[in-house]
Amino acid sequence: MDSAFITNLILASVRMATPLIFLSLAELYSQRAGLVHIGLEGLAAIGSLVGFLVSLITGNPLLGVLAGAAVGILVNMIYAYATINLCAEQIVYGMAINIFAPALAAFIYRVYFGAGSELVQVGLMTTLSGMLGITSDSFLVRLLLDQTPMVYLAYGLVIFTAVYFNKTKSGLNYKAVGEYPKAAATLGINVVGVKYAASVICGALAGIGGAYLTTCYSTTYTDGNVAGRGFIALAAVIFGRWSAGGVLLACLFFGFCDALQIRLQVGSYGIPYQFFQMIPYIATVVVLTVIGMKKAGPKGVGKPYLREQR
Amino acid sequence: MKKIFALILTLAMVLSLAACGGGNSGSGGGAPAGGDANAPADSGSGDGKTYKVAMICDSSISDGGWGMACYNAMVDAAAKYGWETEVSDSIAQSAYYESIVAFCDLGYDLIYAPGNQYTDAILQAAEEYPDIAFALLNGGADTPAKAANGNVTSLLPDAQQVGWIAGILAGLMTQTGKVAFIGGMEIDTTKGKYAGFVESAEYIGQQEGKTVEALDVVYSGDFSASDKGIEFAKAMMDQGADVFFGDASAVDSGARQAIDEFNAAAGSVKVYDIAQPGDFLGQNECIIGSQVTDNSGLVGLCMEAVENGTFGGETIFGTMQNGVLSCGKLSDLVPADVQEKYNSYIAQVMDGTFMQ
Repeated sequence: MDSAFITNLILASVRMATPLIFLSLAELYSQRAGLVHIGLEGLAAIGSLVGFLVSLITGNPLLGVLAGAAVGILVNMIYAYATINLCAEQIVYGMAINIFAPALAAFIYRVYFGAGSELVQVGLMTTLSGMLGITSDSFLVRLLLDQTPMVYLAYGLVIFTAVYFNKTKSGLNYKAVGEYPKAAATLGINVVGVKYAASVICGALAGIGGAYLTTCYSTTYTDGNVAGRGFIALAAVIFGRWSAGGVLLACLFFGFCDALQIRLQVGSYGIPYQFFQMIPYIATVVVLTVIGMKKAGPKGVGKPYLREQR
Repeated sequence: MKKIFALILTLAMVLSLAACGGGNSGSGGGAPAGGDANAPADSGSGDGKTYKVAMICDSSISDGGWGMACYNAMVDAAAKYGWETEVSDSIAQSAYYESIVAFCDLGYDLIYAPGNQYTDAILQAAEEYPDIAFALLNGGADTPAKAANGNVTSLLPDAQQVGWIAGILAGLMTQTGKVAFIGGMEIDTTKGKYAGFVESAEYIGQQEGKTVEALDVVYSGDFSASDKGIEFAKAMMDQGADVFFGDASAVDSGARQAIDEFNAAAGSVKVYDIAQPGDFLGQNECIIGSQVTDNSGLVGLCMEAVENGTFGGETIFGTMQNGVLSCGKLSDLVPADVQEKYNSYIAQVMDGTFMQ
């Protein structure tokens, strides 16, 4: 295992962790307002498709990301209305989004491009080093500069979220809604408003996470390209103890595990590949077993808020 | 009001699922949906009946690789024989059997499953629907014998020859002496292609006076994760691989993206990819050639057998000799002298003297 292996592994980890960061932050904002959302996979799928289409049509990946965010919000309003206003079961509607949104994405793709069409490819967002005209094989340059603006946005959002939830009055009010909404309401906090704001943020971030895949990572869209990241994000929020910093570490850890299994598969002669493919899953189980034992999440998560109920 | 809105919302979602659900099924109660169904090109068979064929596929039919080529093969064959077509793609493994049975219940005459991984589901359904024909592309040679009702036919392009065609080109073109193969799932046909690829690349290396070795095969675990293809290709290029071949559908597309990016950074095309099963020259700059499988001919033979009432119980092999397998066009990146050598080795495959 030489230094090139390690540096390339770190770079691959960052690449693979970035969409997870967006999705995990989406889940964090949702759960902090008391809304457990297992439908991130679906939101990311529709965000991925719309981001791809808009990027293709306009030639501007940034517009693709914005469109991904917009469609994420739009689809998530179904979940928001059903769970906030109608007090429907959050898990059930999350699962409904997971089935509905990817199917809708596949349907739109098929209608737009036709069945059995040629592979359509789009240009990806330019990296910062590309914008600055810097070309270097230096590890630090590749790590710090050879990234798209979306990567910097992801890490910036982590810092913003950490500050917002822990250092601002608005953030504390937001968290209060997820902990004990009735008490929050007695303090004059607009519980329903916060929950809707959470759904908007969640939808936008999940849509961006999906759009990242087709505007910054892969030049093509294929059904199923989200590949379970929505569910890994759920695990990352629990692993990260519902804190922004913890979520970041969890995403980097999961990204690292996935990158590691790929690199070990390539470099290993004679060892069955299934052994390496197990690594991310074993790591998830082990970590959740150890970390997830103590309940640290919002107390009101998953529970409907009925204003009139005592 | 809330209840009415909730009902409308639920209805809308259910209808959406009916239209697009089932793992992106193109099926909609047998009716054309999402442009997937294709009307027959002519009036159908002589007995006045319009026959129907349905395809199931776990990858997308717009993946620019396996799924797309297999779907187009069905459509081409259907156009020739005047059949109606339907497809259900991007389905999960857990939905193989249910998707097949759904088409059986809708009265389809032929179920077309392009992949070895559908074998168990096909055999189970074939036992329960003795009057329906099941064509398994890349099925095992012994699979038809396992079907209780004799209504299963294996269409079996010679995986070794597929691997040879790519391996010959890889062996000739590699400069580093390292070639790479990315698989989707560890199924017999993929293993056969990899084995053929390795043995022919190494043999060509010996013939050309250079050492050629293949990196260990890697498996992405599915056919949709193009990001895995990107990461695998990057890792394999780090190991020195400079010619790629694969059997992983959209994962191969991801690998080609990574190769193109590498070549762009290098300022010239130094790493190549060989595509399959269609002629994909021009899709990516790195593609220097393709191994082409005429699946439409194989599917057409099945349609003919269904119409004649002679379907089932056989394995139809596809080889270069019977025209099912062939080589796609070569890129200008392949020098003229290499093209000449390549054609000469392919001629040896054709006359059965390759590696003899």
